[in-house]
Amino acid sequence: MTGQKPQHIMLQLLRRCSQIFIVAVIIALPFFSLYEHYRAANAIDDIQLMSGLRGKVLALIDNRFSLTDDPQVILENFKGTLWSMRFAGIEISDPLAVAEMTASSGTVYIPFILSAVIPVMLTLILGRIFCSWICPANLMFEIANKLRSILKFAEIQTPEIEFSLNNKYLILGTGLIVASIVSQPLLSFIYPPAVLSRMTHAVIFGTASAGMIILMLLLAGIEVFISPRWWCRTMCPGAALYALIGWPRLLRVRIAEHRCNKCGKCEKVCEPGINPVADSDGIECTNCGKCIKVCTESALKFSVGLPPIKRNLRTHVKKLSNVVLFSGIAVMLFLALPPPACCHHILGLPHYSYKENYPQAPTLEYPASSGPYDVLLTSYPGKPVPKEAASLSFYIKNRITGEPYDKPISIRVLETFTFGRSSVVLKPTVCEPFERPYKLYVTFPDDGEYVVELMMDVEGRSEVIPFLLIAGEPSAATSVLITAGVLLILFIITVRAIKIKRARHTAGA
Amino acid sequence: MNRRVFLKNAIAVSGAAIGYSVWMSPLAATSRKNRQFLRPPGALPEPEFVSRCIQCLRCVDACPNHAIITLSESSDKLLQGTPTLKPRRQACMLCNKIEGEFLKCTEACPTGALQPVSKDPSGIQQKVAIGTAEIDKALCYSYNNYICGSCYRACPFPGKAMTLGMWEKPEVHAEFCVGCGLCERSCIMYPQAIRVKPRGC
Repeated sequence: MTGQKPQHIMLQLLRRCSQIFIVAVIIALPFFSLYEHYRAANAIDDIQLMSGLRGKVLALIDNRFSLTDDPQVILENFKGTLWSMRFAGIEISDPLAVAEMTASSGTVYIPFILSAVIPVMLTLILGRIFCSWICPANLMFEIANKLRSILKFAEIQTPEIEFSLNNKYLILGTGLIVASIVSQPLLSFIYPPAVLSRMTHAVIFGTASAGMIILMLLLAGIEVFISPRWWCRTMCPGAALYALIGWPRLLRVRIAEHRCNKCGKCEKVCEPGINPVADSDGIECTNCGKCIKVCTESALKFSVGLPPIKRNLRTHVKKLSNVVLFSGIAVMLFLALPPPACCHHILGLPHYSYKENYPQAPTLEYPASSGPYDVLLTSYPGKPVPKEAASLSFYIKNRITGEPYDKPISIRVLETFTFGRSSVVLKPTVCEPFERPYKLYVTFPDDGEYVVELMMDVEGRSEVIPFLLIAGEPSAATSVLITAGVLLILFIITVRAIKIKRARHTAGA
Repeated sequence: MNRRVFLKNAIAVSGAAIGYSVWMSPLAATSRKNRQFLRPPGALPEPEFVSRCIQCLRCVDACPNHAIITLSESSDKLLQGTPTLKPRRQACMLCNKIEGEFLKCTEACPTGALQPVSKDPSGIQQKVAIGTAEIDKALCYSYNNYICGSCYRACPFPGKAMTLGMWEKPEVHAEFCVGCGLCERSCIMYPQAIRVKPRGC
């Protein structure tokens, strides 16, 4: 091996470090702002009482920051997600967010455009490094493609369908047009780095939605089972925008043609899926340096230079208008630096809702309706604690007349289990309209899912309204099943791989 | 590159997407003419707000009272991830006793979906229109032969946005109510007898 020079291996290592650093940043920023919330509310001591990983991380941050004089000054400057953030006091937004918001709202908001200066400048100089060095979704998809090689090891054939690299420009253009038609930025729902970053934020703040996670798993699944590097190469609108901005980049991979022995190794490892020998000057290159690492003849190397306008003029002339536009904006904005950071001290806020063990206001509401009546069930505490009495209150009101319901109601509570089984927790109990709303104390025996059945009289008929209630933290049957399934599949693949290798070994012997 | 394949892709994808958006935009527009959800202070009118919000969660991070949360998938598929307030959980305290010239969330918004609102009472009165509090008199303690008045004690504009009648019976004056939701937060009834309803600008 003459080609694998240590500095090129170091470069790849550095690239991984940079990607992992960004992942650390998108995990750390929500924790910082959560910590700041607690600090602002003078509820720092409650962190010690918090259970689970979240409490541990916050305690760790507290250990670090309680030594500094004024943590607020530091914390104020680290906020947001990868879509738009304040990092070290500097406002940074994704150029795609800027482009899309401008398209959807039809207004030019100068502070927002200013915040995209740094990424645009970096891309103009260093090329599409956002994709290869920063994007957490790229890291995720690289891991997904490592799974592909495990499948290959087990000799399981997965299709490798190729799509046109130009599709992503289409997605970008269509996305911007759609955004301006419905006047809402929609790419943020599918743009993986933004989704991943917001998902992390949501998980840490405890508001995660299943949709985001399912989308990411779906994309990773396509990478593994249908088309390798599908999203980054052919679909990503962000990649398209960075490619267009990065066209006049200064740092680019150049080839010494007299050294190249046409082995084709670089084409196999190329991240954006081009042939570095023929097309390293094009807009697709992400400057990841993988081709340089594998080249045994040292034919490929990074060099400083301008785009070869003459050679590729015809192919680029269509995209040139975009480049001129973006470089024009970038040069303009380079003269006007982002606004300086300012600091605040936050003191004297109410603290009660920060305590996890303090009875919470009942924010969980279960609305239902039957005939002309609106029924509202609230429980105190919001999420009932097993083996402790929870207060359930039913408020029934006539939607049309605004009059509250004034006949007795009957309540029954059932515990439900995974396979449709159920057991009665509370036998039918009659509540009198003594005081509005109807109140009832129920003790839930253990963590699980319960159905509260309300029986009332609606226009002469007897109606039963069920409410689904969760007490404590039941272990979800589905997550257990999914984990078991994944483990089973991995086990089968490993067994298969071992069998094949052993059979081949004995046949060879 | 096979140009014909690409052109086919192009027509299919863009046709589907643009067709979908053209079909959907009137639906979305009718549902967004009026505000359905409580938005943070300084929010533009709903259609403009939606067109500008990129869901970066900066306002969620900035709120010192932890009051701003994001809309869940179940409330609205297309608007999920945009900021909202749930006063019963945590109300907007209008950045009271916090240093700085502007309300924190309005200052943090990078896209101008939340316009900066200065913190002096007159600025708040003029620009903050989160919603209007409404009292359910059938449920309110004070309207049902008891005496309470805790919502009046919580109101940041007592005497203007809310006044008390005989036996602490509260009365909301919509022209002064900014919709901060501190009254809803403080209500002693379960479910709460006073609620903030969204209001268009």
